[in-house]
Amino acid sequence: MQQEVVLAMLAKEPSQGYELRARLDQALGPFGEAMNAGHIYVQLGRLEKAGLIERRGAAKSSDGRDRKVYELTSAGQERVTEWLAEVSWPKPDLAEFHLKLTAAAAAGLADPIGIIDGQRRELLRRLRDVQRAAMAEPDHSDAGLLLEGVVLRLQADLRWLEACEANWTDRRGTS
Amino acid sequence: MSHADSTTVLRTHGLRKEYGSDEGLVRAVDGVDLDVARGETLAVMGPSGCGKSTLLHLLGGLDQPLGGELWLDGHRLDQMGEKELARLRRTAVGFVFQAFHLMDELTAQENVELPALLAGRSPRAASRRASELLGQFGLADRASHLPSALSGGQRQRVAIARALANEPLVVFADEPTGNLDSAATLEVLRLFDDLHAAGQTFVIVTHDERIAATADRLMTMRDGAFVDETRLTGGTTGHLGALIGLED
Amino acid sequence: MGRLFLVCRLAARDVGRRRGEAAMLVLVMMAATTALTLGLVLHGATAQPYAATRAATAGPDVVAVGDTTQDGVTTPAALAALQSLKQAPGVTDSSGPYPVAIAVLKFDGITGGAEVEGRDATRALVDQPKVTQGSWVRPGGVVVERSFADALSVHVGDLLTLNGRSFRVVGIAVTAALPPFPEICRVGCNLYYAQTTSDNTGLMWLTRADVQSLATPTAPLSYFMNLKLADPAEAQRFAHSHNFDSPSPTAPFVTSWQSISQQDATLVKSEQLVMLVGSWLLAILAVASVAVLVGGRMAEQLRRVGLLKAVGATPGLVAAVLLAEYLALAVVAAVIGLVVGWSAAPLLTGPGAGLLGTPGAPPLTVVDVGVVVLVAVAVAAVAAVVPAFRSARTSTIRALADTARPPRRRAHLVNLSARLPVPLLLAVRVAARRPRRAVLNVLSIAVTVSGVVAVAIAHARLSGSHLVGSSGLDNPRTDRANEVLLVITVMLIALAAVNAVFITRATAQDSRHLSAVTRALGATPDQITAGLSLAQVLPALAGALLGIPGGIGLYASVKHGGAMAYPSIGWLIAVVIGTLVVVAGLTAVPARVAARRPVAEILQAESA
Repeated sequence: MQQEVVLAMLAKEPSQGYELRARLDQALGPFGEAMNAGHIYVQLGRLEKAGLIERRGAAKSSDGRDRKVYELTSAGQERVTEWLAEVSWPKPDLAEFHLKLTAAAAAGLADPIGIIDGQRRELLRRLRDVQRAAMAEPDHSDAGLLLEGVVLRLQADLRWLEACEANWTDRRGTS
Repeated sequence: MSHADSTTVLRTHGLRKEYGSDEGLVRAVDGVDLDVARGETLAVMGPSGCGKSTLLHLLGGLDQPLGGELWLDGHRLDQMGEKELARLRRTAVGFVFQAFHLMDELTAQENVELPALLAGRSPRAASRRASELLGQFGLADRASHLPSALSGGQRQRVAIARALANEPLVVFADEPTGNLDSAATLEVLRLFDDLHAAGQTFVIVTHDERIAATADRLMTMRDGAFVDETRLTGGTTGHLGALIGLED
Repeated sequence: MGRLFLVCRLAARDVGRRRGEAAMLVLVMMAATTALTLGLVLHGATAQPYAATRAATAGPDVVAVGDTTQDGVTTPAALAALQSLKQAPGVTDSSGPYPVAIAVLKFDGITGGAEVEGRDATRALVDQPKVTQGSWVRPGGVVVERSFADALSVHVGDLLTLNGRSFRVVGIAVTAALPPFPEICRVGCNLYYAQTTSDNTGLMWLTRADVQSLATPTAPLSYFMNLKLADPAEAQRFAHSHNFDSPSPTAPFVTSWQSISQQDATLVKSEQLVMLVGSWLLAILAVASVAVLVGGRMAEQLRRVGLLKAVGATPGLVAAVLLAEYLALAVVAAVIGLVVGWSAAPLLTGPGAGLLGTPGAPPLTVVDVGVVVLVAVAVAAVAAVVPAFRSARTSTIRALADTARPPRRRAHLVNLSARLPVPLLLAVRVAARRPRRAVLNVLSIAVTVSGVVAVAIAHARLSGSHLVGSSGLDNPRTDRANEVLLVITVMLIALAAVNAVFITRATAQDSRHLSAVTRALGATPDQITAGLSLAQVLPALAGALLGIPGGIGLYASVKHGGAMAYPSIGWLIAVVIGTLVVVAGLTAVPARVAARRPVAEILQAESA
């Protein structure tokens, strides 16, 4: 997860580390458990070093909890504004799979069709899990929206895999 | 070839259907063997033109095969005449179509009553069954609306209720979510899931991977024949977080 | 100007794409226009032949019949009065007086009457009958008037008896002096014998001596005379003044040639009436047929309407485009009907054997042509105007999406049908989807049955008026009337049958989706066939029941004089049942074809 995400979460109000974690957890719904808690503190450290946030507040409290409060600097504010206006999309990972198929076919290591089928089954399993999660969500929940995004991308990927299969079957036929 | 296995509801062997002749010969269904157990959901996927819709029509008795055997609940369909097939469609089979195919001039309630009336049940019994189904599907408040006043998802759910009116052995669905947006698809998927849990047998032909992913068995069809069969058992590699870009 | 051109072009293209249907439309309207043409043309059909006969026979301007006493005796005074007409003012030529006898005729098992005029072997100046076969009178030889000869089926060389005496038929001739059989008694005949009636008595000629030998004390001779006037147009005034202004009790009775001509015309009067009434009935049927065809086409045209409106056509222009092709086809049907009717007219309007020649080209006045074209255009307009305007007023978006007007929901019918067995359930729902078409169905059958009932009453009346005591003597007047009745009946039934087939086709097309879905839900093809067929049989029943009082009323309003006759209940029931059977038969085949089409095909198509 990019550090700009953590930065943006501080834009609302200065917060403590555990508050940030709770907020992220809630927003991610079922995916919250997949989030690595420690990762957040690493990000906070990096951001502090870059001068985008600063730490305030007391040292350890009586119950041992980290009572540091983080807040945005003006440079941090600027960075958040910039980041919100950016339109880059998460990087797709197609090249790797495509090269995998080509390499397998060239080296005779495995049947590309078999690889595609295997990948397809995996994506279908993921789709199944996400679908089940989606059905359990109440309508119009935020998490439901996130899940729909996953479903649609998995569908897109599966369609691409279908196209790959058709292509590699033809290649086999004509070779 | 025994068909007495009590858990097998639908079975075919070497099913064939062709169109045209000579140069224009199309083997729409080319030697299909299939077994569907009671309570199972079978999804059939494949590129368009691969013959999956034709297969569905054959299985449901809407069309006559050219060759092969087709058994539904111990009855041999490929040797039945149109009249007997029609009777079968009233009692053992329910159909759901991509375009819903509801009667525009009948209300939701009247649409769902239609199969029961065709089967000769009294209007009162038909009405009762229709109300029951619509209530079960959460459409009780829409029962007296015309299809034009219903959303796509509601229309398809009415169509599913209609398919279930005579308590069929198998429900055949041809691209049931083809004309629906995501939200409506979810409604319908939930419905299929509930019915599946209640023990209804489904054979669904679909492009939609979402349905395929939740089926018990997934068959892929190409050029009239099955080329792949998958049971999606087991967990997934990686974890959910990776799906949305959350790295370790 | 550009708009007019556009309308024409679009109409022409559309007709070109649907040639079969355009042909059917023209055919249907043609039935009405042909009948109408025939009806109009029969008016005056005998005028020409009468003139031709008059010219060929030196026909008289005036025929005088000598006065007779109550016992039929012609006194010398009466004979003198008759002869004095030769010197009457305005008379230029004369022939006669000729002796005339009434005799009992027996030929080939037929008994009838003959009014026999005694003639000379030499040519008369006025009224020399034209011999068309054989030769003129000679001792022992009789010449028979042509229409009478046809009715008797007698030929030159045959032997017949008059008052027991045998005569050989030596010739057959026509004359303009008396109306042909069976109308001769309009001018004058004395029927002394029980076997002779005005309906079975015809004209013959013998030598004077032979005629005199036929006279008996109870059936004495009377005398006819033929006169030519200086001014033939004055003949009616001449006849009138001599008949009513003369004080003399022994004055002869005078008939003008105009009156005789009019008598000839009555031959065709009843035919004309039948044709005209028949053509109106056919026109109504044609309206129904065209309305059904048009209604179906409008549904298909919807997308075209949307395209036109999207590029800027006003609803008025769109309606014009839709109507133009039907009006054009109507004009074509009118022209073809005029030509066919005009050419076929001689078959029905032949003056009969009693007059010379055929009418040749019957006179078609400009008014006649105008009436036929107007009626054809009116038929198309009435049928097409409402659907055209309704289509033209559909919103552009709806039209482009080609969402055809969905059938209106009729809750009470849906509820009612739920209680019926499946075929009736389907029939009611199918019929309820297009109520206008059901009404057209009822109308079409009602009109046809009305026509059939009226024709049957007319036919019964005609046969009833058949001749007393004569076996096998054809009455040309009733024969011709019967022929025309038959023609109209056949045309009515044919058009009604065509209507039934059109409606079934349109209904089957329209309810494809309903049939397919119902079959997918488990209705057998037989149930669908029965439903589609019943959807027409039920309106047909209503139509047949309406047609009975309709037909009786039609006959009552159209007959002139004569008693009213009512058909028997048994016959009426037979007609109703017959109608239902025919409709069921006609609709069963297209219904069955529709019910057996593969379900999957229809459902795929409907979802595309």
